[in-house]
Amino acid sequence: MSTTVSPAPARTDGGTGRRRWTARLRGQNNEGVLALTIVVLVVVMSFVNNDFFSVGTLFDVLRNSMVDMVFALGVLIVIISGGIDVSFPVIGIFAGYTTIVLARDGHFDPGVAGAFLIALVVGGLLGLVNGGLIARFKLPTLIVTLGTQGIFRGVLLAYIGSKYIATLPASVASLSTKDLVTHHDGGSITRLHVFIVPVVLLCVAVHWMLQRTMFGRGVFALGGDSESARRAGFPVVKLQLAIYVLVGLLAGVAGVMHVTLSRNANPYELAGTELDIIAAVVLGGASILGGRGSVLGAALGVVLISLIKNSLILMGVPGTWQRAAVGVLLVAGVSIQALGARKRSRRSSVELATAEV
Amino acid sequence: MPSNLDALTQRLVAAAQGQRSLTRLLGLAVVVLVLFSALSPNVFLSLINFQTIAFTVPEIGLLSLAIMVAMLTGGIDLSIVSMANLTALTTASLFAAFHATDATGGTAVLLTLLFVLAGLVVALLAGLFNGFLVAVVGVTPILATLGTMLLYNGIAIAWTGGEALYGMPDAFLALGNNTVAGLPISFVLFVLVGLALAVVVNRTPLGTKLRLVGANPTAARFSGIDNRRVLFLTYVVTSLLAGGAGIVLASHSASASADYGSSYLLLAIVVAILGGTNPSGGYGTVLGVVLATVTLQMVSSGFNIIRLSAFQYTIAQGLILVVVMVVDAIAQGRRSRRAVPPPGGTGPTPPAPRTDEVRSAASAPAS
Repeated sequence: MSTTVSPAPARTDGGTGRRRWTARLRGQNNEGVLALTIVVLVVVMSFVNNDFFSVGTLFDVLRNSMVDMVFALGVLIVIISGGIDVSFPVIGIFAGYTTIVLARDGHFDPGVAGAFLIALVVGGLLGLVNGGLIARFKLPTLIVTLGTQGIFRGVLLAYIGSKYIATLPASVASLSTKDLVTHHDGGSITRLHVFIVPVVLLCVAVHWMLQRTMFGRGVFALGGDSESARRAGFPVVKLQLAIYVLVGLLAGVAGVMHVTLSRNANPYELAGTELDIIAAVVLGGASILGGRGSVLGAALGVVLISLIKNSLILMGVPGTWQRAAVGVLLVAGVSIQALGARKRSRRSSVELATAEV
Repeated sequence: MPSNLDALTQRLVAAAQGQRSLTRLLGLAVVVLVLFSALSPNVFLSLINFQTIAFTVPEIGLLSLAIMVAMLTGGIDLSIVSMANLTALTTASLFAAFHATDATGGTAVLLTLLFVLAGLVVALLAGLFNGFLVAVVGVTPILATLGTMLLYNGIAIAWTGGEALYGMPDAFLALGNNTVAGLPISFVLFVLVGLALAVVVNRTPLGTKLRLVGANPTAARFSGIDNRRVLFLTYVVTSLLAGGAGIVLASHSASASADYGSSYLLLAIVVAILGGTNPSGGYGTVLGVVLATVTLQMVSSGFNIIRLSAFQYTIAQGLILVVVMVVDAIAQGRRSRRAVPPPGGTGPTPPAPRTDEVRSAASAPAS
């Protein structure tokens, strides 16, 4: 909490008005910079490739970001709380795959609501395991989730199934082709999947929860300094438990969405994508030290990465360069943030000495 | 200065805890050994099996030592596997470029030395960049190395198009496949590197600085340590260890690829923690990490022999990690409760810093 923007002392007279204006545009977590990067990228790409500025590209980028976005919401909450979770993609595929296996072996069609309900239960339980270990024994979050990631993945592949399932329950299969908007552009048709609605709703809900509820206050307080949060009267143990259960629930939703969108269930998928999603959230201004971050920033981070990948393809850059490009983007992003933080701290070194150390 | 006193008690407690973690690790190794020997005396307790284990120890051991060094300073290096693969690819493509696949005798040995060195130089460059980001720019280690992990891996994928490179002369392959007096050459090299690293960490000023910077960066700065220089060197050392792992990996598998060992990063962190390394900095031993590597490789081989799947081994890895940490936490809780008679006391009683440390470790690898 102590690291969020405090009203900067007006040291430079005359320039303050301008600074406040630019500061507001930049946003608390550099969301403005990120948005500007996206706009510049879109403008440049429109000149480079005439096909770029189209509804089709927009739909492609959104479709490719949907599952990542839901995962990113969970990651955001954990990172703000000062922790890190690397088990969420495995929880996601565990929940998604288990749902399909249950339906197949039980010879029943859970329906869309049922599928999500099963995945929520599974995801929530796995999140409870993480939360229980972390909150009860006060263990380092990265290490615990590394361990549980192995356990979850092992249990999934050894005892639930290691085979690709091509046929989904009828209700889920029909959901996979339900589009909100279909756009006819000459000969080609581009679609926006109906999942965009729940994804946007989830974003709004998480934003509201982080900004307007006691739980959200607690998450930020925990990330600022867990000891201060405890002394301020936040129930730290319950809070941590709730955070990791919430991540599990979000991962469960993302898992079913992934399975639905890919129209098959493959237990080997998603695992290994954890660092990419953490990268997107961090790019979106969330501080890995906790106490800072926003849904808007995380969303911009996810969209920017998806956009970059899309642009590289359109520019004819071989797909093999995608990973390197995301790496460059992340290195540049975190370097700018680090340099910015240092500049800020130099400007108000006295404040820093009392606030941050 | 109370902070000096705190640092001292913290170090004493850490040292005592280290002894305990080593003893416990040794116990775990013996349990694993006895268990699998009892389950499968003919296969597990054979010279061949132990030789096989010794062949697999160096690559994971070197990566785990790299993680341990980074954790000593309270950081982490996520880019180790990417750097290992870049090293392996450099060496492999140099062999291909100079048509040295079938080289024999003196030329082969010379070229092997030269190209291995070239591979390590690439790792060094990667490490210098990591060190620059962490020490000069001031990026949190976990973020800097997350970025460079993607970057180095991306470069490797773009370079090879995702395909594996083959064709290395026997002189190079000997490193990972031949034995000296029954011991794999790579294992002997690994032991030598481990000894050298142990000397650096325990007996040189640099080692002391590494641990001090990890235990308390502010205190280290006030004692006149150039934190930036130490951090810079840390990431250079981890890159060289990772490069070594890449060489061993390439010679053992007779190939190099951008996505070899993708599961090794997590395994290396598991091994480092199991070896008693404190992820929030200040404590870790080479011996502990080596012992942990051997133990986990014995579990892996034992699982193979009694026909449990790789997936079940993954479960075991995770369980071992979680159980070790939980047992540790419970033991610590009990110790600190015994030492602080009135519950909730926040006085400077010796174990108090320990519990604080555990609590702050929740955000540990980031700081």
